[in-house]
Amino acid sequence: MEKILTTCPYCGCGCGMFLHVEDGQVVGSSPSTSHPLSRGRLCVKGWLAHDFIHHPDRLRSPLIRDDDRQIKATWEDALSLVSRRMKEIMETFGPDSLAVLTSAKGTNEENYLLMKLARAVLKTNNVDHVARLCHAPSVTGLSAALGSGAMTNPHRSLISADVVLVTGSNTTEQHPLAASCIMEAKSRGAKLIVVDPRTTGIARLADLHLVPEVGSDVAWTNGMVKVIIDEGLFDQEFIEKRTEGFGLLEEAVSGYTPELVEKISGIPAVDLRRAAVAFGSAERGSIVYAMGTTQHANGTENVLALANLALVTGNLGREGTGIYPLRGHQNVQGACDMGALPDLYPGYQPVSDAGVREKFEKAWGASLPHRPGLTAMEIMEAAEEGRVRGIYISGENPMLSYPDQDRVRKSLEFLAVAEIFPTETTALADVVLPVASFAEKDGTFTSTERRVQRVRKAIDPVGGSRSEGEVAVELMNRLGLESGYSRPEEVMEEIARLVPIYGGIGYPRLGAGGIFWPCPDSGHPATEILHQDSFSIGRARFHPTAHQDLKRDEEYPFVLITGRCLFHFHTGTMTRRTPLLEREKPRPKIEINPRDAEKICIGCGRMVVVESKDHRLTVEAEIIPDVPPKTVFMPFHFREAPANLLTSQRLDPRSKIPALKRTPVRITRV
Amino acid sequence: MRSFLLPRDGLVLFLNDLSKKLELIAPVMMEGEPVFVTWSGEKLALDSENPLASPVEFFLPQEEVLFRYVQYSGRYTFEEEEPRPRMIFGMRPCDLKAVEVLDRIFGSDHLYVDRRRSTVIAVLNCITPGEGCFCAQLGIGPGSEEGYDLLFTEVEDGYLVEPGSPAGTLVLRDYADLFTEARPHHLAEKKMKLDMAEEAVRRLGPQISIPLIEEAIEEAPWEEIGERCLRCGGCSFVCPVCHCFNVVDRGVPDGERLRCRDSCIFSGFARMANDINPRMSQGERLRNWYKNKFVYLPERTGLVGCVGCGRCSRVCLGPIDRKGLLKEVGI
Repeated sequence: MEKILTTCPYCGCGCGMFLHVEDGQVVGSSPSTSHPLSRGRLCVKGWLAHDFIHHPDRLRSPLIRDDDRQIKATWEDALSLVSRRMKEIMETFGPDSLAVLTSAKGTNEENYLLMKLARAVLKTNNVDHVARLCHAPSVTGLSAALGSGAMTNPHRSLISADVVLVTGSNTTEQHPLAASCIMEAKSRGAKLIVVDPRTTGIARLADLHLVPEVGSDVAWTNGMVKVIIDEGLFDQEFIEKRTEGFGLLEEAVSGYTPELVEKISGIPAVDLRRAAVAFGSAERGSIVYAMGTTQHANGTENVLALANLALVTGNLGREGTGIYPLRGHQNVQGACDMGALPDLYPGYQPVSDAGVREKFEKAWGASLPHRPGLTAMEIMEAAEEGRVRGIYISGENPMLSYPDQDRVRKSLEFLAVAEIFPTETTALADVVLPVASFAEKDGTFTSTERRVQRVRKAIDPVGGSRSEGEVAVELMNRLGLESGYSRPEEVMEEIARLVPIYGGIGYPRLGAGGIFWPCPDSGHPATEILHQDSFSIGRARFHPTAHQDLKRDEEYPFVLITGRCLFHFHTGTMTRRTPLLEREKPRPKIEINPRDAEKICIGCGRMVVVESKDHRLTVEAEIIPDVPPKTVFMPFHFREAPANLLTSQRLDPRSKIPALKRTPVRITRV
Repeated sequence: MRSFLLPRDGLVLFLNDLSKKLELIAPVMMEGEPVFVTWSGEKLALDSENPLASPVEFFLPQEEVLFRYVQYSGRYTFEEEEPRPRMIFGMRPCDLKAVEVLDRIFGSDHLYVDRRRSTVIAVLNCITPGEGCFCAQLGIGPGSEEGYDLLFTEVEDGYLVEPGSPAGTLVLRDYADLFTEARPHHLAEKKMKLDMAEEAVRRLGPQISIPLIEEAIEEAPWEEIGERCLRCGGCSFVCPVCHCFNVVDRGVPDGERLRCRDSCIFSGFARMANDINPRMSQGERLRNWYKNKFVYLPERTGLVGCVGCGRCSRVCLGPIDRKGLLKEVGI
């Protein structure tokens, strides 16, 4: 038996784990004790992360569509078909009729290669990935406020906080290692404030749990800021020395009295005051948030409001302080870092900057497109309208994870999907490419705390699969750009040359705990805590935010929140093939408050019809007080009742994230 | 029983030669931490903490294929794997005790028994116990007294080696030239070192005892503890005594029937039809986990289901005092 140290493939925590290998098969896993975050611990998904690797459903050979069937093909046939069709579409309709969706499950090296394939070979900036659906508002909002869209401090910094404010994050289930740090802080005496419409595990542990109306985040955050200013709890010195625009903020929040906030959000004024005073008086305060904050039509405003709260209290740049946008995928941070974004090159260097573009043109020996590309949701829209005709999807399942899936079904001229398992999306593909799982390739993942860590190959690719990186290199070669890469390490060397924040990152330096970026050169010790002495934009900026009216629809009186549960991950491609996880949560349920259940006369286990404006589905009811009245919750993992069929397409104008967390629905008995 | 001395530099010679005849499992340092792997000459990690993943996994794998099936043709292939001859070197006394408990539970399970029979266990007495250890309080360590094939204790002159079974004696007979007869002072040194280790372990948790743990199980605020449990299952997955498994079919229509590890701390473990669950809350499930170790297993096997290795404390995601549960009730 061999044991190979690698990085967990599930959430953004980025835990270190060993894969146990016997006779070329992964037969087990165990946590790494020397990993600085894991410290010998994993969540349930991590403990079982090896379980899907040898599942018989794994795609083992390429498939090519023949009418309504998909037929086994050789790699040669599949790759030449992909390159031929891509080329034809590019030549007939122009490069911007193509798009590439990369994967937050892929390595940094793979994301870099796919991004390069889109830009340098297909000549389009239409490249994006699932971050659009999770933390696009964090990238937009926090970049505007602080100069960087990433988590400011490592998780472990939470342990030394005096007050932790958690909002829109089901931390104990979705980021258990982060939750574990918060619990450690609490047992040290820290206060925990949770603002969440649902009574989640972390809310049950809170000293103060505020239950707001879904979507009233700006109101209650502004309310807290107002109380902090009125009570004189703001950090005058920090504001004067390190920020600008405080006057605008003061004015913007002046109307948000706790009483008004109570009217808007339903949070009792007295509780809001208590929360504000507790957070404002803390020497070290931390703010943790996730999708409950970002997946709104005003997601960027929500993030900006939280940034204001951190800035006004001077809670940045020190141990125990900071803003923690918890990322959902193990490498969604890395996919963003690698420029799998339509307007940014790797390292957040703007496509619109001619100097940057020249640098990449020179390095890659290719001319690059000038115009920023389309975002993930815009790509789908363009496909519907015939502006985008060919899409290459690597390791994503938009058919189940994107909102209002029906439109995605619309015809495309060509769809190629690289996946490890058959999914709702591969079913529509013209070509399916079987790719390697995390256990079968080398590379790096960047965790939500900006920690760049090694992924190590434990076994050879299962069946006839190949790594996504290898496929990208092969396509580049076939489409006329000789890349010359032979190992992922060479890709990282190129990244280090072209991406200043990764400048000092190379495989030899990535031991058991990895390295935090920014790390500009090989002698740099890496940056654990951002914004310590200065912000990269000079002074941090306050951005006034305003609450937007929330109206309940009389016809659709319930608000549907979607999310994940402890035992499954996203569309369940991996977790639903892990027997223990599937047993724990074998079927979808919609959570309904007992008061509502009484009104619509349903009991636990009854089937209900959930209808949004355009769609409906049937699902089992779970009557549970964890959701407040008139609010229901549904996980989006299950194809049996795909919650994203119902969700809204409304986009945040700034970050283009869809409003997944507030869909008006109607519920009736079957 | 006779005892022998293996000089320090003789150990690698001994293991090197053995590793050519059988699969030798030993603790080595991998990226800075000790893990049990197939040894092929790496530097041994003998003076570090007991590896987090117990070598019990070589008897009870995390998952194993019982048979493969092809449904349309109705073909079922039973692939009986020939158990491979192994020696586990460096198993600690706590893990050996766990094997003793498992022997009483899986005594008629041929997969377990075959692997057990084809494995030589060479125990290393624990003279550098870890921070979470409480084997001494349970009367299990830090030294082994029985159940091993070979017992190694590090002494000034090398390793004191004591065979404990015919299998152990046979292994030593092949290497007679490497070993010399141990002297009485080696045995005295062993006793002194183990006494010191025992004292160190007791100092880390002076109040721990089985009656107190039993009392704590009755008094612990289980519902409140349950809220802090993040349901990772880690405590069961690292416990060398925990052995619950589930049988699942992987793949439809063709696939394989697996036996894979399971844990009673999951709600699905005891869930029945219509979602009825005899242990509804996480607190009740945790209580059952302790009850099983300290009440049910002793009733069934005559042995306590906890060996004091402290691994459950090392992996607990929630701040739950696993180590004997005592802090939770303020003892």
